[in-house]
Amino acid sequence: MSFRFPKSAVLRHEAILLLVLVLEVVFFRVAGRNFGTVDNVANIVRHSVEIGLLALVMMPVILTGGIDLSVGSLLGLCAVLFGKLWRDAGLPWEVAALTTLGLGALAGGFNAALITGLRLPPLIVTLGTYSLFRGLAEAITHGTDAFTRFPETFLFLGTGRIAGVPTQAWIFVVLAIAVWLLVHRTTFGRSWRAIGFSPEGARYAGLSVGRRLTFAYVLAGLMAGLAAITYTARFGTAKADAGTGYELAAITAVVLGGTSIFGGVGSVHGTLLGVAAIAVLSNGLSRLPATMSNAAELSGLLTGVLLIVALAGGALPGWIAARRGRRNATPSVPATSGV
Amino acid sequence: MSPLLKLTSVTKSFGAVRALKGVSFDLRAGEVHALLGENGAGKSTLIKVIAGAHQPDGGTLEIGGQRVTQLTPQAAHRLGIACIYQQPALFPDLKVSENIGLRLEPISLLRRINWAARRERAAQLLQRLGADISPDAEAGSLSMPEQQLVEIACALGAGARIVIMDEPTASLTQTEQHRLFAVVRDLRADGVGVIYISHRLDEIFALADRVTVLRDGESVGTRDVVARPSSVVRRVPNERSARPHPGPLPQGEEVSQPATGLTKHATFADPLTTILPLPAGEGRGQGERVLEPAGLSDSSPPPITESELIRLMVGREVSSIYPAAESEPGEVVLSLRELGCTASGVKKITLDLRAGEIVGLAGLVGAGRTELARVLFGLTPADSGEIQLNGHPVSIRSPQEAVTQGIAYVPEDRRRHGVILEMPIAHNLTMAIHPRLFPGTWLRFGAERTHALEAMHDLAVKAAGPDALGGSLSGGNQQKVALARWLATRPRVLILDEPTQGVDVGAKSEIHKIIRRLAQEGMAVLLISSDLPEVLGMSDRIAVMRGGEIVAMMPGGSDAHAVMAAALGQDRGES
Repeated sequence: MSFRFPKSAVLRHEAILLLVLVLEVVFFRVAGRNFGTVDNVANIVRHSVEIGLLALVMMPVILTGGIDLSVGSLLGLCAVLFGKLWRDAGLPWEVAALTTLGLGALAGGFNAALITGLRLPPLIVTLGTYSLFRGLAEAITHGTDAFTRFPETFLFLGTGRIAGVPTQAWIFVVLAIAVWLLVHRTTFGRSWRAIGFSPEGARYAGLSVGRRLTFAYVLAGLMAGLAAITYTARFGTAKADAGTGYELAAITAVVLGGTSIFGGVGSVHGTLLGVAAIAVLSNGLSRLPATMSNAAELSGLLTGVLLIVALAGGALPGWIAARRGRRNATPSVPATSGV
Repeated sequence: MSPLLKLTSVTKSFGAVRALKGVSFDLRAGEVHALLGENGAGKSTLIKVIAGAHQPDGGTLEIGGQRVTQLTPQAAHRLGIACIYQQPALFPDLKVSENIGLRLEPISLLRRINWAARRERAAQLLQRLGADISPDAEAGSLSMPEQQLVEIACALGAGARIVIMDEPTASLTQTEQHRLFAVVRDLRADGVGVIYISHRLDEIFALADRVTVLRDGESVGTRDVVARPSSVVRRVPNERSARPHPGPLPQGEEVSQPATGLTKHATFADPLTTILPLPAGEGRGQGERVLEPAGLSDSSPPPITESELIRLMVGREVSSIYPAAESEPGEVVLSLRELGCTASGVKKITLDLRAGEIVGLAGLVGAGRTELARVLFGLTPADSGEIQLNGHPVSIRSPQEAVTQGIAYVPEDRRRHGVILEMPIAHNLTMAIHPRLFPGTWLRFGAERTHALEAMHDLAVKAAGPDALGGSLSGGNQQKVALARWLATRPRVLILDEPTQGVDVGAKSEIHKIIRRLAQEGMAVLLISSDLPEVLGMSDRIAVMRGGEIVAMMPGGSDAHAVMAAALGQDRGES
């Protein structure tokens, strides 16, 4: 079996990202307090699972050349729906959770129907549902209601450990492998990539573009539902504001991980590195000594710098070449008016 | 007097494709110089070189007697070259005066716009053209010809001395055409040189002073045109009432043209001179003949006739270089009955396609050939009529259904549709056979590689390997990959859309052999091509399309003139 990325630039990008991650770890181990402890590592994982899950499914969506801005809001809506099903409808939490996953998938299907059926741009559609889903969540809870006092068996999902590893980390690992296989080892991934490079080319190749796109958005909805479950289990509370801003964090991780926002190029392992780089940075900054305590506020700032540097670094050689080319091609036209 | 524009031995290649192979061309002040040629002959490349959009690889370009190198579109504009395209490029939401102002006024952040002056100038320019267009109208609200007039006003305002018009009448009605012709004549009277591109011979005879014919990137001749007196058209017997007048009668400044030119050459000798386009279904050979006294002229070179023009355009290639059919066609595989698609303008197509048969679809760009292919492939599904495969009616609503039914379509635009340039050849080759090659959706890289190597070997694809990106291939090899992708589906019906366009000569003949071999193996092939010798040489039967309909069916090896005449057809201006 041989697998090759269509662009070696991807590999280079991932190597750079891995280096950044290693540097982060080394720096925070030296400068931070208790950064390398087992507890802190578990903490990093727990805090990044939801964004990680969303990034895992954001990656295929972006691979097709699309985007899903609604996943954070959908997380909130699903959390509220889950709470409603469990507390008000009296369902066992397991049934409520499965139903929530189904509703999440349904919401993803709604995005997909608008995108593939009406041929609306994904950015616009999911910008709409970004507001819509959050609005529904707030309407259901009247903006104040919060669901709490979930059973211990449920909270174990978000706070417990299996073999010393946080429960949700197991879920994440399984899903990361599944999504990796889906993207890199099945015809779904191949089709997403083709659609990302050229939607028309994929259509002319006889690929069922509509169905493949639908699958990507349904998957995103499903995963938002799952993220809502682990989120609720971690905090022990389901509120309408759950997962606010997570869609942008997920997109940041995917793009930082080398997936082209124009589609076609990217890898799931790159996305995982992107998630890790951001999670470690944000946790590590909070572990710095008191003299540098305001460094925690630097987290967002440094994430932005990381993203821009990583992307600009990739684009810089091409930009320089283009500039040089343009300068050489400056026209030399005789200024003539004697025509 | 030096010509306004002079190109000498201009060459231009795109990768392996030589679009211009040493074209010389000149334009004098106060003339209308028609540029004629089949699709892909190099007309667009030539005008893009003149307009500064393409840099020539070799040869020289002189404007107003001065040699120009490194011409850019901005520089061409400054030098007084204006291009008027088929689709006017105005900002639809801006007023006419604003559109004109944007083109003509210098751009500066600090400059204040003098709205009154801008409006006044626009009004003057439009008035000069005799155009009844308000400068305050929104450009988007204007009709196509009105928008063209605005474009021409821009050209006038910029003081253009060289105006290039690319099929300006393609979307105009008869009356609008006449208006446009009058404007072109005014430009000519003002000493402007006009390069006029058109497929329509009647226009060329009504308007042009000289004509240059391009074929396969070469200029095959520049000849004088003498305006055809209206009497010729009127004198034709049996003239169909459907045929409108071809254009305003030559008058005014054309008086200077020797009106006797028409009779300077042997019209007699060539029956095609007066073959007028026939209505659908009439077939060929009924061309009306005009009996002209064949007065001979002592002046050289004689003005060109319509038949000579057609002959220059199609060339003299003989069909013997094409692989011949060696077996009889078999059963009818694909049968179309009154097939139509309103959205794409395909009308009442009735056609049978047999196993082992190559049916050529001839016609001009926009005749509906690609549109028909798109209907058959489910990209724009039919809304009337019937498609039968092996005698059974089928419904084809999507490309997936077409593939299931055994229909394959190798599209015209291979860079956008035929091959995904960013993906490896192997991925491209297996894209249409995912279910068969990858059962259970798991990719099998080994099987994929084997398939790719075999397919590349079969069609002799020249590439670094199956991992090379589609975009790294030459046009001919890309075309082979696009073709191989579909052959892998083992189709019953193979639709090929311009399979050799932009392909070098060697690869072209290889592709021809492959096509014939496929037919030989029992595939039914529908061959769309604007390359007339190719259609004539490759096809067992030829369907000529015009305006979304099949207007003539002819046997393979038919006379190029007859096919061209049917394809050129009646005046397309009446919409």
